[in-house]
Amino acid sequence: MTRAAPTTLRPTTPREVRDAVLDTPGRLAVAGAGTAADWAGRLHDIDARLETTGLTGVIAHNPGDMTVSVHAGTPLRDLATEIGTHQQRVALDAARVGRGATVGGLVATADAGPSALVYGSVRDLVIGTTTVLADGTMVRSGGHVIKNVAGYDMAKLLHGSYGTLGVLVEVVLRLHPVPKATATVAVEGPLQAAAEHTARLVQSPLEPIACEWVSGDPGRLLVRLEGGESTLHLRVARLVELLGDGAHEVDESVWDEHAALTAGGPGPGGDGGDTGGPAVAPDGAVLRIGAAPTRLAPLVAELPATAVTAGLGTGVATVTVPGAAVAETHDAVAAAHGTSALRSRSADLDAPAWGPAPSGLPLLKAIKNRLDPDGRLSPGRFDPWM
Amino acid sequence: MPQQGPSAFDAIRPPERELLDDCVHCGFCLPTCPTYQLWGEEMDSPRGRILLMDLAQKGDIGLDGPFTEHMDNCLGCMACVTACPSGVQYDKLLESVRPQIERNVTRTKSDSLFREAIFALFPYKRRLRAAALPGALYQKLATVPAVRRLAAKLPGRLAAMESLLPPVTLREAFATLPVHTAAIGKRRARVALLSGCVQDVFFHRVNEATVRVLSAEGCDVLVPREQQCCGALEVHAGREESALGRARRTIARFETLDVDAIVTNVAGCGSSMKEYGHLLADDPEWAARAEAFSARVRDVSEVLAELYSRDDDGGPRAPRTPVQGRVAYHDACHLGHAQGVREQPRAVLRTIPEIELVDIAEAALCCGSAGIYNMIMPDAAAELGERKAGKIRDAKPDVVVTANPGCLLQIRKYLGEGAHGPVPLLHPVQLLDASIRGVEVPRS
Amino acid sequence: MPLDRRIVDEFVGVLGAADVLSDPIRTRTYECDGLTGYRVVPELVLLPRTAEAVAGCVKVCARHGVPFVARGAGTGLSGGALPVADGVVIGLNRLNRVLEVDVENRRAVLEPGVTNLEITAAASPFGLYYAPDPSSQQVCTIGGNVAENSGGAHCLKYGFTTNHVLSLEVVLPDGSLVTLGGDSAEQQGPDLRGVFLGSEGTLGITTKITVRLLRTPETMRTLLADFPSVAAGGQVVSDIVSAGIVPAAVEMMDALAIEAAEGATGAGYSLDTPAALVVELDGTAEECDDQFEQVKAICDKHGCTRLHIAGSPEERANIWRGRKAAFAAVGRISPDYIVQDGVVPRTRLSEVLDKIAEMADESGIRVANVFHAGDGNLHPLVLYSEANGEAEQAETLSSRIAELCVEMGGSLSGEHGIGTDKACSMPRMFGEEDLEAFHRVRAAFDPDDICNPGKLFPTPRLCGERPGKYRPHPLEEHGAIERL
Ligand SMILES: Cc1cc2nc3c(=O)[nH]c(=O)nc-3n(C[C@H](O)[C@H](O)[C@H](O)COP(=O)(O)OP(=O)(O)OC[C@H]3O[C@@H](n4cnc5c(N)ncnc54)[C@H](O)[C@@H]3O)c2cc1C
Ligand code: SF4
Ligand code: SF4
Repeated sequence: MTRAAPTTLRPTTPREVRDAVLDTPGRLAVAGAGTAADWAGRLHDIDARLETTGLTGVIAHNPGDMTVSVHAGTPLRDLATEIGTHQQRVALDAARVGRGATVGGLVATADAGPSALVYGSVRDLVIGTTTVLADGTMVRSGGHVIKNVAGYDMAKLLHGSYGTLGVLVEVVLRLHPVPKATATVAVEGPLQAAAEHTARLVQSPLEPIACEWVSGDPGRLLVRLEGGESTLHLRVARLVELLGDGAHEVDESVWDEHAALTAGGPGPGGDGGDTGGPAVAPDGAVLRIGAAPTRLAPLVAELPATAVTAGLGTGVATVTVPGAAVAETHDAVAAAHGTSALRSRSADLDAPAWGPAPSGLPLLKAIKNRLDPDGRLSPGRFDPWM
Repeated sequence: MPQQGPSAFDAIRPPERELLDDCVHCGFCLPTCPTYQLWGEEMDSPRGRILLMDLAQKGDIGLDGPFTEHMDNCLGCMACVTACPSGVQYDKLLESVRPQIERNVTRTKSDSLFREAIFALFPYKRRLRAAALPGALYQKLATVPAVRRLAAKLPGRLAAMESLLPPVTLREAFATLPVHTAAIGKRRARVALLSGCVQDVFFHRVNEATVRVLSAEGCDVLVPREQQCCGALEVHAGREESALGRARRTIARFETLDVDAIVTNVAGCGSSMKEYGHLLADDPEWAARAEAFSARVRDVSEVLAELYSRDDDGGPRAPRTPVQGRVAYHDACHLGHAQGVREQPRAVLRTIPEIELVDIAEAALCCGSAGIYNMIMPDAAAELGERKAGKIRDAKPDVVVTANPGCLLQIRKYLGEGAHGPVPLLHPVQLLDASIRGVEVPRS
Repeated sequence: MPLDRRIVDEFVGVLGAADVLSDPIRTRTYECDGLTGYRVVPELVLLPRTAEAVAGCVKVCARHGVPFVARGAGTGLSGGALPVADGVVIGLNRLNRVLEVDVENRRAVLEPGVTNLEITAAASPFGLYYAPDPSSQQVCTIGGNVAENSGGAHCLKYGFTTNHVLSLEVVLPDGSLVTLGGDSAEQQGPDLRGVFLGSEGTLGITTKITVRLLRTPETMRTLLADFPSVAAGGQVVSDIVSAGIVPAAVEMMDALAIEAAEGATGAGYSLDTPAALVVELDGTAEECDDQFEQVKAICDKHGCTRLHIAGSPEERANIWRGRKAAFAAVGRISPDYIVQDGVVPRTRLSEVLDKIAEMADESGIRVANVFHAGDGNLHPLVLYSEANGEAEQAETLSSRIAELCVEMGGSLSGEHGIGTDKACSMPRMFGEEDLEAFHRVRAAFDPDDICNPGKLFPTPRLCGERPGKYRPHPLEEHGAIERL
């Protein structure tokens, strides 16, 4: 049976999202700005595409409470600009924020950037969500206060659900103050050396915000600090001393290069505007992997990676490998007790998106079954698991 | 929950409703309760025991069976009193409940035989002295009916009891303290010393050291003759009638003395003597006398610490010689928890030059001695003893000090030999005495 | 109705007779947790010693449809560990080993019965600590913390239990053992670990927990400041926040709470001040000192009447001892009390406190206040005397306070959970559709409704035939959020 080309729905209010879900028969692909459209399992048998990009804007921002609620289709970049005037920010620096990723999309893909070392991933910043389920049920969980334990935390369920459990329509985020000053120190060297630096760094009291190795020749370790205007330089000096010979302060633009490399492109990235990511090399595939921090460097070293950004403090890395090596990468990560997910890859690459299924898979299936019994939402994202 | 029926307690000083109501069930007392640590069961925690008392008071459960079992399991260490933020007076509750059990619950034959034998021996200095003589306990005490009965029915329990009596020289067992020892130098205080029963027979050297130290620090020390047991063991076991008799006799013996303080070097005796006021509160003839007596009771470390911290003529007086080495101070429950005396012994020890005072981990947890507990609950006591000994070993002490003979015996039993023979186990005043006299630290 | 003898035998088969309590007097001691207003005696109390034994017990429950309730230290304040009649309590306190402290990766692997404070005790020799610090930390278990997503004074800066748990081994209600989460924050698929966290024991029993440890900060600066009013203290908090400072903790106590805490601990709080604020900053020496000066200036600006700066670790510990004893110590100034736990947006703190004072006056019942001022988490302590017949009034006032928090755009609970206590108030905060969706999640984990049934959700039995009707959320009324 052939299907008609999927139609695209672009609702602009939560009510319209619900109507769209209820009124559109068949299977729906849930999409944000499309910056991660080719991540995880490939969608299949789609009847319509439900895009949240029309569902934008801040709903409420009370600077004194340091919380903001937004429509899920709001690009985080735009939100940042708006709240930045109050010296506030969402402490999330995922690589694709610069390319217009939406708040809902970032939640659904469980994305995070280098500063996850301190601020966690987006799951740690979301304090409330409203979601439309496959049967049109509109579920609110959490709330508008940072601290809240009433009811199940549906935000967590949606975090990393890749559009398969519901359509996020509203997200409430906790905010952090914009740091008075930021600085980055770099030291050149291969991964192993960077890992050794990191081991010392995390034992130190210097409180790095991010600690990332980026591949290159020989590659380099980037360490970001945040602090007060008059005090940060003191800590920068301590950091330079700790990292030893060759450590030096660098311009913040290194993080744009980091973001581009994380997206699989050769960098420099951060070109903004367009919705597609920087092209991955034709036969390449980007994988996000996670492992215990001390296992990460040996694991990455063992992979046939052509580009790497590795959070040596968090244990989370993004690697680009030849398309043919995706399966073996999953296996290598699993052998190191890690987790892996396929991100961008060339359109025709046929490779498994996920490694071995976790022990909680039957549970995941049961949840899917309860929330979307007909399998309407984003089918294919968790192939081959479910 | 409202009253379900008549209280299971009799009318003689049942646990007070207000005291039971003080417990808010927060559980803050669980981690320091030794029985909860051992068994991890709610009914063997302070919170659980208070709940059981509450239920019994409300007439919902009876006293026999589980109620008695879980009250018996309690060491009476009073760690829960220290831990409780709501100020629950578990000590008072337990003190009212134990006599209720003794009066109203029929114990098994073997249990009562054993208890009778214990209380036929311990409060009597003469019998303890006889017990210290060479030969088997039974032969030495065959004239005591309770001991005879136990020996006939349960010789094993008698042997267990004997194994807890410490070795002692005959000279020491029969020695007596001078009735009056004058202060050296200008007198700073007049005190009367309770010489104790077990203490005087088996730890006479501690009494001697106490007298010497007090005198060296400027105290006139009276040791009245014809002292008897203060009743501590009986108080803590709920044998109220007999205990109150001893309390009255002790009060009568001491109350007429013109002294600033009634001093003891035994934590258990101190805690019960400080409770006389409460124990005899309902006795019109004795209430005020008991109150006045209790107000004057001090642990020896309290007396010394008070002298040292005086503004006028304060501070340590006797010159000291340095004592090198790591000294671990073990808080006896009846001193730390029951009397809240923790800082004073440490402060007193710190007056010894060069001493390195070290803490023992889990300091709040009982060593398992707890009065007669290690005789009637040997398994639990053994586990606690092992655990405490482990923590003491971790502290790597050269000397261990503690202010209660029960703790000394219990710890000695489980600590075993160190790399250089047994670690000396002393009362803190023995260490101070050695420092003041400039003699070597005794081995025991 | 007593359990069928054969079922009891199956439990005995799994655990051995000594670890199955069936005597009705002994099981009585498990009839409630820290919330004593609700009491139910369980049929059995099971005290397993290993994860396998827990799974074995749950399998027996699943096979026979026996409801079970997990219990840690029983310090919960919402009746989460309240037993179910005809059901069993599974006590986790004997699974109390710290399995591993992995210094390089800064994490610890724990059995669920390890107490919160024992984690830090095990980690501190390596310069590490476990950040979430509920006031009950010396006694509450990590399993209970996971179930309640517990917070503490230092959660303002460092987050709650959910932000510190990497993975959980869970016995699901069918007895199967799964691992949720993993070795890094990078997760595969939906964050089921996150769903389990804060689920109040309704989704399964956790038997092994991997938590993150943080490096002990280089510097900690703590001050205790008195203010002429709670409002002035609140203003200080606002100013600190708008200065871009994220303190490690900001705690406020009012006069009544101070009286209780000081009585219990003698920690050095002023007995004559209407409000006291504890502010703690931590971090690198330079930043910390710099910000501390700013905080002191802010305190002065708002009429601070006494500023006590902790000069030593002991003094700091003392200040915290006073604060952390506050709830339990209220037993000293009132025969009975209810610890309420609600959250409001921080900017509405003063307004809410005024309202609470008004409501307290009206009902003639005293309310003491202790709160995590930084995140708007209030702990009004409703003081009453059951003997004087004030229980019902106090209950009503307490529920009204929680619901007031919701009306102010906040939450029914910031850290103690919904449990039995607030299940009937849930419809004030969530609509039918929300609750229905929660039910679906629950059913995915526990289709037979045997895992801590009756908690969290309003049930006719608990709340009467018609549990409180949903009222539009005030944010909806303001058009801030939308509901269909
Ligand atoms: C004086 C006092 C102060 C407190 N202060 C705070 C505070 O500052 N912050 C705070 O957040 N809380 C506080 N609490 C509340 C309480 O201590 C916490 O909720 C704590 O996490 C409960 O832990 P527990 O081990 O006692 O759990 P319990 O009370 O035994 O159980 C709580 C819930 O967890 C479930 N549970 C227990 N173990 C497991 C397990 N292994 N797997 C699954 N579910 C399980 C139970 O079924 C129940 O629903 C305080 C309580 C008291 C009495
Ligand atoms: S006195 Fe000791 S053993 Fe008894 S309940 Fe209190 S802490 Fe436990
Ligand atoms: S005795 Fe004290 S600490 Fe223990 S549960 Fe009762 S109130 Fe809490």
